[in-house]
Amino acid sequence: MTTCGCAHHTPPRVLENVTVVANDRVAQGVGLVTFDSPRIARDIQPGQFVHLRIAQGVDYLLRRPFSIYRAHAGRLEILYQVVGRGTRDLALATPGTEMDMVGPLGCGWRIADSTTHALLVSGGLGAAPLGMLAEELAERGIAVTVAMGAPCGERLVGRDLFERVARRVEIATDDGSCGTAGFVTGVCGEMVAEGGYDAVYTCGPEPMQRIVAAQAAEAEVACQVSLERLMACGIGVCLSCVVETKCGLRRACVDGPVFYAKEVVWDSAHDVTCER
Amino acid sequence: MNVNVDMSVNIGGLSLRAPLLTASGTFGSAREFSELIDLNRLGAVVTKGVSLEPWEGNPAPRIAETSSGMLNSIGLQNAGVESFCVNDLAWLESEAPQVPVIVNVSGHTVEEYVAVIDRLEWEPFIAGYEVNISCPNVDAGGMAFGTSCASAAEVTRACRGSTERPLIVKLSPNVTDIAGIATAVEAEGADAVSLINTLLGMAIDVGTFRPKLARGVGGLSGPAIKPVAVRMVWQVARAVTIPVIGMGGIMTAEDAIEFMLAGATAVAVGTANFVDPTSTVRIVDGMAEFCHARGIERVADLTGAVLA
Ligand SMILES: Cc1cc2nc3c(=O)[nH]c(=O)nc-3n(C[C@H](O)[C@H](O)[C@H](O)COP(=O)(O)OP(=O)(O)OC[C@H]3O[C@@H](n4cnc5c(N)ncnc54)[C@H](O)[C@@H]3O)c2cc1C
Ligand SMILES: Cc1cc2nc3c(=O)[nH]c(=O)nc-3n(C[C@H](O)[C@H](O)[C@H](O)COP(=O)(O)O)c2cc1C
Ligand code: FES
Repeated sequence: MTTCGCAHHTPPRVLENVTVVANDRVAQGVGLVTFDSPRIARDIQPGQFVHLRIAQGVDYLLRRPFSIYRAHAGRLEILYQVVGRGTRDLALATPGTEMDMVGPLGCGWRIADSTTHALLVSGGLGAAPLGMLAEELAERGIAVTVAMGAPCGERLVGRDLFERVARRVEIATDDGSCGTAGFVTGVCGEMVAEGGYDAVYTCGPEPMQRIVAAQAAEAEVACQVSLERLMACGIGVCLSCVVETKCGLRRACVDGPVFYAKEVVWDSAHDVTCER
Repeated sequence: MNVNVDMSVNIGGLSLRAPLLTASGTFGSAREFSELIDLNRLGAVVTKGVSLEPWEGNPAPRIAETSSGMLNSIGLQNAGVESFCVNDLAWLESEAPQVPVIVNVSGHTVEEYVAVIDRLEWEPFIAGYEVNISCPNVDAGGMAFGTSCASAAEVTRACRGSTERPLIVKLSPNVTDIAGIATAVEAEGADAVSLINTLLGMAIDVGTFRPKLARGVGGLSGPAIKPVAVRMVWQVARAVTIPVIGMGGIMTAEDAIEFMLAGATAVAVGTANFVDPTSTVRIVDGMAEFCHARGIERVADLTGAVLA
């Protein structure tokens, strides 16, 4: 039986005051910010996210949801792409800046005990929730292979981390400036078809995730996706973040953001709203 | 904290330990907040809107952030009254037994409102009802009932006929004369009125030329609407004798005090719950401190105390 929801235990959420300890540009339009955040860093699981209040006294009110790229030693790392007012303000935050975040939130990646070899497929900022997962899988002795894509070499993110923990990393760029020329779905399609994987994890633009999900289904490998929706509350009360699933509407902020691909009813309407 | 201010208020026979409620649709059924705040600090929990049958709500995107506020077009998605009783209400009763629960009721027709209340009358734990005749996000019913005196009166009369529990009617700001509507529902036996629901609004993405909400239009909430809400509370409080619950953009204790001064007996906090999930308790504490600092012994003394 499937419920399209969160089947495993998630840690309690807290509101934590956090401090920026580092904030650097790591690729074109992309920053990596590190927060001192002992409580959330201790509890958060791969694929979960935090809801960050970037600024106060500004005319945009809502928090911004961000995946956790890495969590270690009381610190959280977030990879962010500058797309609007909030992420612009985040890019300007200097070490010592105080913010607050609610977390850990949502239902993260599921790791089946039987998994022996996982394929991670990242498109652009899709690396954000996959970093922590790659490290966790490697720590559990599960083989990791990565297919990653970006518009150009300048915009590849997460490569160092993936090359450190994965046995193989394949790269595709739209303009061919790094790795194979073309979309990551081309590389990934071939890899999935070769076989040998018993789990596929993907994050990136929704049309890309949809294609990866179809490739995994074709090869009969369980596939999980991480979906982005506009979020107001982040804790399950406002119903702004709904995802259509085979079990009906589910909330991306508590039942997701990670879903089994086979449970998602794909709707191209979200390609427009959440594309970056 | 030990400031000796009497924070209790009375809403249509329901006595509340604090003059602060949660605004419907922004607090779920309280469960999600129980890890983050002490629910016992609240005057009452007002639940999300409950209808007779499950409602799917509107297509996404359902929210758009705007200057100092947000638009929503959720469309009262809920699992229906039966599921509400079995899941939400049962949780509240066992985990927050001291907190009064006011159920926000919605319907497409007068009969549906009544049927929801009839079902809820079987549940002993409920403290009262808030009848939503002001949702701008559903096509039939919703706000349509709240925009004419005759239909607002009709829904109120029908609901009044089904319950002796405190009955609060939630008013729409999308009208020319809100005091007239308030007077009409008071005449039909409402024990209190709450206002304002969201203001009908719209935002367009200039990159795509499309409305930011899939439904096109939605309800505006947050600090952007506060002056409109304060004005309406002031107008309504002068027109009726029943208590007024004021809401619309309350983020701080000072905002809440402003509503009290305009004539509110209690306030409700909505969008602020998304920005800071501890807003409700922070505001209750701040109200008590405000009164203490000024030597005001009873928070109820603030109600309508604006100087002419
Ligand atoms: C669970 C989750 C995890 C996320 N993780 C990351 C991450 O690790 N790194 C990262 O850079 N971004 C992530 N995002 C997206 C990020 O939240 C948005 O890019 C951010 O909120 C934009 O804020 P802004 O003020 O800069 O942009 P705004 O000025 O608010 O909007 C600019 C553009 O961004 C789009 N946008 C706004 N909010 C979201 C959102 N919630 N999801 C998708 N698009 C949005 C808008 O539609 C608009 O086109 C995540 C989103 C979700 C839901
Ligand atoms: C996401 C969202 C959902 C809402 N759902 C309901 C609802 O189900 N029933 C209702 O009566 N009001 C609903 N409202 C209106 C609020 O209860 C409140 O009247 C309004 O938002 C103004 O207060 P605020 O500015 O503090 O949010 C909703 C508001 C928001 C933002
Ligand atoms: S963001 Fe509010 S329910 Fe998911």
